[in-house]
Amino acid sequence: MMANQNTKSVRAAGTSMNKSRIKPLHVAAYLLLIAVSVVWLLPFVGIVLQSFRSFDTEYGGMVEYLLPKTFSLDNYTWLLSGESQFLRWYANTVTIAFFVAIGQTCMVLMVSYALSRMRFKGRTLWMRVCLILGMFPGFLTMICLYFLLKQFGLTQSGAVPGLILVSVASSGMGYYVCKGFFDTIPKSLDEAARIDGASRARIFFCMITPLSKPIIIYTALTAFMAPWNDYIFASYIVFGSSNNYNVAVALYRWVNEEAGYFTRFCAGGVLAAIPVTILFMCLQKYYVEGVTGGAVKG
Amino acid sequence: MKKKLLTILLAGTMAVSAPGTCMTASAEASGEIVIWTAEPLMSVTQSMAEEFLAENGYNYSVTVESVGADDAASNMITDVEGGADLYGFAQDQLSHLVAAGAVQPLTGTGYDTWIEEENGSGSVDAATFGSTLYAFPQSADNGYFLYYDSSVVTDPTSLEAIIADCEAAGKNFYFEINNGWYQVAFFFGTGCTLTYETNDDGTFASCDVSYANEQGLVALKEMIELASSSSFQNGSSISNATNVGAIVDGTWDASEIQKLFGDNYAAVKLPSFTGSDGEEYQLGGFSGYKLLGVKPQTDADKLKACLDLAQYLTGTEAQLAVYNEEGWGPSNLTAQEDEAVQADIALSALAEQANYSMGQGQYPDDYWTLATSLGDDIISGNLTSSTSDEDLMAVLADFEAQCNSYVQ
Amino acid sequence: MKKTAAFFQAMAASLREIGVTFREGDWKTKVSYVIFGFGPLMRKYYLRGIAFLALEILYIWYMVSFGASYLAQFGTLGTVETHMDPETFVTVYGDNSFLILLWSLLGIFATIFLICLWRMNISENRREELVLKAGKEVPTIRQDLHKLIDGKFHYTLLSLPTLGIFVFTILPIIFMVCVAFTNYNFTHQAPTKLFTWVGLANFKSLLSFGGSGFGATFTKVLGWTIVWAFFATFINYFLGMALAMLINTKWIRFKKLWRTILVMTIAIPQFVSLLYVSKLFASDGLINSYLLKWGVISQALPFWTNPLWAKVTIVILNCWVGIPYMMLISTGILMNIPADLYESAKIDGANTFQMFRKITLPYMLFVTGPYLLTTFTGNLNNFNIIYLLSGGGPTTMSMTGGAGTTDLLITWLYKMTVNDTNYCMAAVIGIMVFAVTAVISLVVYGMLPSVRDEEGFQ
Repeated sequence: MMANQNTKSVRAAGTSMNKSRIKPLHVAAYLLLIAVSVVWLLPFVGIVLQSFRSFDTEYGGMVEYLLPKTFSLDNYTWLLSGESQFLRWYANTVTIAFFVAIGQTCMVLMVSYALSRMRFKGRTLWMRVCLILGMFPGFLTMICLYFLLKQFGLTQSGAVPGLILVSVASSGMGYYVCKGFFDTIPKSLDEAARIDGASRARIFFCMITPLSKPIIIYTALTAFMAPWNDYIFASYIVFGSSNNYNVAVALYRWVNEEAGYFTRFCAGGVLAAIPVTILFMCLQKYYVEGVTGGAVKG
Repeated sequence: MKKKLLTILLAGTMAVSAPGTCMTASAEASGEIVIWTAEPLMSVTQSMAEEFLAENGYNYSVTVESVGADDAASNMITDVEGGADLYGFAQDQLSHLVAAGAVQPLTGTGYDTWIEEENGSGSVDAATFGSTLYAFPQSADNGYFLYYDSSVVTDPTSLEAIIADCEAAGKNFYFEINNGWYQVAFFFGTGCTLTYETNDDGTFASCDVSYANEQGLVALKEMIELASSSSFQNGSSISNATNVGAIVDGTWDASEIQKLFGDNYAAVKLPSFTGSDGEEYQLGGFSGYKLLGVKPQTDADKLKACLDLAQYLTGTEAQLAVYNEEGWGPSNLTAQEDEAVQADIALSALAEQANYSMGQGQYPDDYWTLATSLGDDIISGNLTSSTSDEDLMAVLADFEAQCNSYVQ
Repeated sequence: MKKTAAFFQAMAASLREIGVTFREGDWKTKVSYVIFGFGPLMRKYYLRGIAFLALEILYIWYMVSFGASYLAQFGTLGTVETHMDPETFVTVYGDNSFLILLWSLLGIFATIFLICLWRMNISENRREELVLKAGKEVPTIRQDLHKLIDGKFHYTLLSLPTLGIFVFTILPIIFMVCVAFTNYNFTHQAPTKLFTWVGLANFKSLLSFGGSGFGATFTKVLGWTIVWAFFATFINYFLGMALAMLINTKWIRFKKLWRTILVMTIAIPQFVSLLYVSKLFASDGLINSYLLKWGVISQALPFWTNPLWAKVTIVILNCWVGIPYMMLISTGILMNIPADLYESAKIDGANTFQMFRKITLPYMLFVTGPYLLTTFTGNLNNFNIIYLLSGGGPTTMSMTGGAGTTDLLITWLYKMTVNDTNYCMAAVIGIMVFAVTAVISLVVYGMLPSVRDEEGFQ
């Protein structure tokens, strides 16, 4: 999509076109891009390569060489067989990510619509309070959230619903991007619909939501990605209940505590990255629209 | 088969001779006992605990979770109620656990006399805070010594030789000098002292520290010299180490190191070094213990079950089983006499080093943080061989003053 | 001054209305002063009546069942210590200071809410009486419900998010603010130990410079936090923009490929990639190992062990994380710059750099202003990158409280809460961190045209 558009409108770097075939400037530019790509890909290549180093026959810890001496899949078979609980953790994470994505998207859409489309007493106060709350360091409240969730049995063995609840409950505060997007939808559309007798709810469900496909996908995608990264709070409320770990908690423990699980950490990391990366690559277009549309105008 | 029989026998005799004169348990009591232990010990702990409870007519189910020693203590402190009924921890966490009320006192229960009879005095001291005994010693191997690749290091008795060999071979020598636990090897080696007296409530009563003197200076300078070597690496975890020539580490990594070094695997006591004053000093260190704690219980029946189980899990048979599984050196006196234990390379090195090490008492958290700062200052080059003696002495004086300030 | 006067006037008017309603109201209204929603129920405003009554009953249930007993102990935060029976060695749990504080805070909020509800209940009665007096029709339940999806749709939309934010964000934050005035740390850990109010003692120990005080360390950490946020934001901003411009250049091919490669860093969970990168740069990591092997260096480079190296390394590695975002954003915006601007500039004989300075940069700065500022405040609290890369280290004897030279306020805070369980001190630092970020952001947000002139944007 972008590739098609740029021929028309982009002269940003505005180099003068010349008829000659090979120009030093072009070579330099491509070399730079290749160098950048190598730097950006190196860590991923490293992780993937390490994940193929055999835990059983070679060595499972850190080593000083990049290429494994023999390629082996035993880290993956170990993860995917019953020997570790990895599949269970994976399922937990997918569950959390799925429900958080749905819940968070609903919350964000609701808040954004109300703040963007409606004018009511306390609206600016509401937005200002959210802005201020967002600046309070979240870690401080972990202990409080832990005991709060514990009262409802949502820690340890109830950690999965607990994590979903916490992520969804406060997600209304992240309305900026979505509200920014709604603000760009002309208000005259609403007014026309209201003259035709449509209620606010009808406008929300039947007009604004269908128009907001990019921002809905953007919100759901970012919400889906977050639980794969949650190792701090998740480990704080799930401790002592390995059945309810998510992937991040388990992997983080492997690399920091358990002796010699480095290659397994890498393999687990690769497996954890796969769904998110695939999803991201498929929905990249919407992500870009969301991040540029919302972030800039929010 | 023989092992199984012994287990049953032992369990039987213990049930009969179980102390706890004032404790009676009703057989109907049931529920769940949660045990936290290191991951490699999960299955052996599970089977031993289940067997023991079944043999003795307890109606409790057992859940074993893998929670490492450090995490166990901090999780217990975060939420005692949500924590495990039995949990393994390293002795340096005891002060924290006592202060947070997360560990059941044992003095007077009758189990304390059993612990004192069965275990070495060092391990009993380690489980004691103030004048109260708090935990069951589980292993006596929380100390460190030198592992080396015998094809790289030719003379493991001299620090200078080890460094030279590693440098020549382009290998790394790991010594975690920014960790207060390993750092004392230098200070204690030259004759400095650092100990704390504790109150019963988990606070510290007094501090005996002598770092800011000639001995301390020798130790500090030696660390600076070590850190300046190109082969020096700060670290003590074999799984995070690369290109290892030698490493100062403990028994928990023995099997990993053996796998790494193969036929060249060797372990001895820590080396000695020639100090800046020309004298020869043997590196010292801590010898510490791993302990099994019981969570304070609100139910008398469960308390008895937990204490009995803890006693069994730290008894002779169990400690030998743990040794066979993971190579943990026993604290139990009978288990220490076992042939396999006596012949173990790593445990022999540990025993050798124990002659130069000091029983690890209790230290405030802030001490470990402070020691890390001192170590980081050396590694980062804030303190170098060109730093004047006065400046180094000022650092040591500051260190001493801060150690004293942690006494409440 | 004007504002306070207006506030008091409003208060006075409100009180007057309460009085007038009572004096002029019928008996149903008068009963409603005690039994909420009584009036509306009798006047067939069923929905509102039930809502008022239900909320009042909920409040009473909360207070009677446990709220009141906790609230009564708010002053002491508990007096009965957990102790062990010396005969049976069984532990008897005493008061739980934590729950006392938590539930009494909830009780206080519930009471404030109840007063507001009472006030709303009175106006509701007044309004209904006036409606009936004017002989208008009472709205049916259907009409009331329809309002909730139309004119008052924002009530429906915001009630759940507001409740969620209140319970899981506001209540915990106020709880932690209270903790700053207690001695809640690992020696006073609920439920086995009690903690209690200590007034300003924690703030005093923060402000006492030198010695065991946190003051000097706090200043140092704050300084680095700001320096970090500045570099992390602007280096990424300009490099990301430059890269976007390079890829956008007409004759560059495979544009999608370059972008996709960069964007991978956003998709892959940071804790995997950053942890790996952190090990990559360790003194015994791959980079040093290969450099040593190839004879480029003779001693490992101190990426994480030297304070200055560590700071620079973190800022550089942050580019790896941040540039792709900025590149994505700039790509979209750059394409929106009208091409004829460049055409006419070219006709006027402007060179590439001049065009960048006169057209691209002002346009970018104008459009991405808000983004730049959110990024800046986000970087002030950028936990992941510091925690996963350097862990805040290396530490030094010249800083106390376990703070390292690359610690941001937020990572230092984390060490204090999670590693040291020194909650009361962490709460104090947290309030400071909050004050710093809030002041910086509010000042900056206030200057933004898009925030000041929100309506104009549409």
